[in-house]
Amino acid sequence: MNRRKIKETVFGGLIRNNPTFVLVLGTCPTIAMTTSLAQAFAMGIATTFVLIFSNLFVSLLRNLIPDKVRIPCYIVIISTFVIIVQMVMRRFLPDLYATMQAFIALIVVNCIILARAESFASCNPPLYSALDGISMGLGFTGALCLIGIVREFFAGGSFAGFVIPGFPAMSGAGASAFGFITFGCMMALFNFVIQKIEARKARLKQASLPLSDGAGEVKA
Amino acid sequence: MAEAKNSAVWKSILVLAVIALCSGLLLGFFNMITYVDPLQSAYDRFAEDTGASFSEMADEDGQSYDNGSVIYYAVSDDGEWNAFLVSGSGGYGGDVQVYLYFRGGVLEKLIVGENGETFLGNLESANYYDQFLGKDVSELEGLDVDFVSGATRSSTAIANAVDAAVQYWNEHVAGGNTNEQA
Repeated sequence: MNRRKIKETVFGGLIRNNPTFVLVLGTCPTIAMTTSLAQAFAMGIATTFVLIFSNLFVSLLRNLIPDKVRIPCYIVIISTFVIIVQMVMRRFLPDLYATMQAFIALIVVNCIILARAESFASCNPPLYSALDGISMGLGFTGALCLIGIVREFFAGGSFAGFVIPGFPAMSGAGASAFGFITFGCMMALFNFVIQKIEARKARLKQASLPLSDGAGEVKA
Repeated sequence: MAEAKNSAVWKSILVLAVIALCSGLLLGFFNMITYVDPLQSAYDRFAEDTGASFSEMADEDGQSYDNGSVIYYAVSDDGEWNAFLVSGSGGYGGDVQVYLYFRGGVLEKLIVGENGETFLGNLESANYYDQFLGKDVSELEGLDVDFVSGATRSSTAIANAVDAAVQYWNEHVAGGNTNEQA
């Protein structure tokens, strides 16, 4: 495996092509499941699991699946893993399952998963695809958790279920409207920081190029 | 030309069928591992939610009504709790299962079980469940509750579930409690 490509895949999913903040995919679970950190984390992990396995299998079967029926094939593969997640959660985490049952089923039509199957896994080897699934999934989980922390803090005055003493909870903050506002602000902040870092990197590169050239010339 | 087209069609069908078959087998395997006996899980839930012990279901077959049904009904061993697993129809994502616990004829606990609803959080934040809690069966009968805007169908399903339990209570528990015990 090519080291540079691995690095690109990992950082692409986590930061440069972050599915929530940069590609803006899967907004439905982002708004609905970020009212608390625990829910956001569970949703992210469930999606990551499905993403890894669907990417892996789509990639393994990419030369076998005829072009015309590729979407039905992807959907069958994705829904299989979603149902597995559903069964396992129902057996081992019944309380969490009761609160987010409808959204677990909706992972099937999560655009992140179909988009990665179509645009990455269908034209890359299995190991890269699985890696892409991991990094995309963790990028999604991280973004969901960040929004979840902010929303839970304002709506419930708590962090990960622990109530912070002395902070008044705002009852309206749990509503979807506040979720959209939070989402927008975080997206702006994320992209602002990324742009600053990229610009600084570019500046450093530019600054270092003529210097080294110049030094070389002087020596020569 | 036509033959090539035909074989492509057959190949597509074959691939899709094989993938579907494999995923079916995989799901069957997982279903075997994670299968939960609904009766046993209801016992566990009743005991966990009330802190009392339940050793026998008073009604395992349940009863259906117009807008809901009683799935299981049990009396705790010390006779203090009447526990219901009811299901109410009319939800946005199908039926909604609700666990109801009565102590001395008063609804003490209401816990939402399996459901396909997407806006249950709204019911929670609007304190919808508080409208039912602390009321006895005669008060719950025909109770006029305020539905939560934005989650009208979830509200309906839960009200239907409570209605089913009340109807069951009036038919089977209120008059014939001693019969049930015997």
